[in-house]
Amino acid sequence: MAKIKIEVKQFFRDQKNSFFRFLRLVKKEFRLVRTDPWNLLIALVLPPAIIALLSTMESQKIEFSPLPVAIVSNDSNSYVNPNNFTNLAIDNYTKPYINAVVKSFYLFPKAIYNASKFPYSMELARRQLLNAEIKCIIVIPVDFTEMLANGLPGLIECVPDSSRITDIQKNLNAVYDSIKIFTNENNLTPQIRLAPFTPFSIPEDYDEDFSSTLVLVIPLMVYGIANVLTILIIVKEKPIARLLLTPVKRSEILLAKYLTFSAILFVQELGIILAAVFGGLFIRGTIINLFIAVYTLAYSGLSVGIFISAASKTKTEANQLFLASFVVIILLSGSFVPIENMPIYLQAISYVLPLSHGGPMISAILSKGASVFGFHFYMLLAVSLVLNILTFIVFLRRRYEV
Amino acid sequence: MRKIEEQNSNEVVVDVQNLNVSFGEAHIIHDVSFQVKKGEIIGLFGISGAGKTTIIRVLTCQIKSKNWTGKVLVTDLTPEKKKNHQKILSRIGYVPQLELLNLYFELSPLINIETFASNYGMKKEEAQKVAEELFTILDIAEDTWTNALKKLSGGEKKRVSMAIGLIHSPDVLFLDEPTTGVDANKRYDILNYLKKLNRRLGTTMFVITHDLEAALVCDKTAILREGKLLAFDTPQNLIQTLPSKGLLARLTIEDLTEEMIEIIQEYEHCEKISRVGVSEVEIFLNNFEKNLNYFIDYLLEKNIKIVSMSRDVANFRRFFQILIQEQEEMERKEEKEKENIGRERREGRAIEDEREIEENNAANE
Repeated sequence: MAKIKIEVKQFFRDQKNSFFRFLRLVKKEFRLVRTDPWNLLIALVLPPAIIALLSTMESQKIEFSPLPVAIVSNDSNSYVNPNNFTNLAIDNYTKPYINAVVKSFYLFPKAIYNASKFPYSMELARRQLLNAEIKCIIVIPVDFTEMLANGLPGLIECVPDSSRITDIQKNLNAVYDSIKIFTNENNLTPQIRLAPFTPFSIPEDYDEDFSSTLVLVIPLMVYGIANVLTILIIVKEKPIARLLLTPVKRSEILLAKYLTFSAILFVQELGIILAAVFGGLFIRGTIINLFIAVYTLAYSGLSVGIFISAASKTKTEANQLFLASFVVIILLSGSFVPIENMPIYLQAISYVLPLSHGGPMISAILSKGASVFGFHFYMLLAVSLVLNILTFIVFLRRRYEV
Repeated sequence: MRKIEEQNSNEVVVDVQNLNVSFGEAHIIHDVSFQVKKGEIIGLFGISGAGKTTIIRVLTCQIKSKNWTGKVLVTDLTPEKKKNHQKILSRIGYVPQLELLNLYFELSPLINIETFASNYGMKKEEAQKVAEELFTILDIAEDTWTNALKKLSGGEKKRVSMAIGLIHSPDVLFLDEPTTGVDANKRYDILNYLKKLNRRLGTTMFVITHDLEAALVCDKTAILREGKLLAFDTPQNLIQTLPSKGLLARLTIEDLTEEMIEIIQEYEHCEKISRVGVSEVEIFLNNFEKNLNYFIDYLLEKNIKIVSMSRDVANFRRFFQILIQEQEEMERKEEKEKENIGRERREGRAIEDEREIEENNAANE
């Protein structure tokens, strides 16, 4: 009995010693961080500064002007005089559509071609598109009038200038306006009306560009900086070998690093969110949700960073691993190519990468007011946990020689 | 801090019996045994690959017990059991060879001390007090205590490293090549500091080194070669094992040649001769006092012109050289013998084969 008592006492004494050693290791970590002002600058000053800088940029106000288009009519039932728009055919729908284009506030018909009379109409229109004289070719098909007269949909083909992806939708919307006018005036059904979902739209008193930019910038910045901060913390600390010849345990050294850098990231995320809120970021969800989301993503970045540091033998190796992993993580994050469109094996990889979950999670909180506690959050936690376990295994097996 | 009166007790702090270390097929340490008493300074000497560091790595719990056999006790605890590791590590200190890899250069000496001391459960104030005492003994100027370590000179860094090794008053301090990379004039300073610390604190010290001058401060020296312990005793006792208890004649000879050395070697009472310079040799004679005069007559007789001559006692360096040479010669002889035996066996087998063929032929006829 007495022996058990002594052993229990010894156990608690050991735990107490271990705890105090751990606290002092944390202190040492903070001291080391303090000796590297550049790291501190990257961690605490740079992210809020970038957000503040973005918030000061004025949104570009574009003066509206109607979209120049060319209409190529292949409708065999009609003949349209380009000078006075008179037609010679009976039961004709081409002219009403051209009228709708003229009436549309968003379109300016720069040229109208009758392809049934001029075989090179489409070629001429294409040349205009190439020369940037027009932004879109509207092609009326051969059986347009006939189809509509028989109550069938007469499909209008739209060939937009696709050199700027962001402009394609604008072009299509403008063409759609002419179709809307045409169907209204000719009592054609069905009529479609595009309307944004107001609960998801950014209110007018917020800067739309700033808010939509931050949806992309925050996840990248938070993850990237957490990575940069931590990729060298084990590999560059040579005296660990000597520390291991004292009663300190490897797990205490590693935990001290996790705690120290988690605390630094906590301050960093506070700074980022404050800068974003003061900069005018529209947050549909709660700030607490946003903070938890951002912090979870940062923690996953830290987990990847410390894993790289524990697994690398040299600083160069750690830097190379960081770069390779960062590029892959960004490319497979779904920001460039939707994850659903990737081959199945890439999808599998993509779903275990932090940014694939961090981006959508933050975006949903900012623009849809979603709760942080969803699939992406738990996936991020799971990924971080697995990485933490792997890091411990790698670090405990890491060879140190004094 | 430990008091001086503890020094030179008979308490054994390190006991190594029949230590063998192997990594896979490679047998690194062969049956090494020695004991170290409290307060002693032990020098572990040997050329590279002798196994010095491996022995220290066993004593400091850095080699897994599956890789070694034998009885090893460090402060009455065996490193064989993993549960003893923390206790052993709290009772020993280690001063590594390269400061660059083992100190926090961005932090000050005092904070370095505090960082390492905290691992032994020492409070900040206690650590600072001991550090100040150690820094004073080691002559580390007070105005450098709070500067970043990277601003200190190489010698100062070495001394800070020594102070870190001693901060928790360890029973045994292991020093890995303490004089390597230090200027020639600073080497003696480092050795003096070691002796000073040993005298003041009574700490048992283990010095691994190539530097044979370190024997000057060692109470006992161990000489290792290819994992075998060739000698372990006080430097004086080891030197006494040389012919005529280490007495030697140092001669400077005009136009010294290899032929002359061979002529000297032929002298019947000459035990050993070593060339120690362009025209200098050291000669060990059998019954030195009696034979010295006859030896000089012999040299004159052989027309060998002596420029100067002195009598001296061999130092540890000479003992080390002679021991290693003898060992190498012995190994060469053994190899030759093995080769001869092999050749004889091969020849014997060939003769037997021939005989067998002849017998078979005769039987056939």
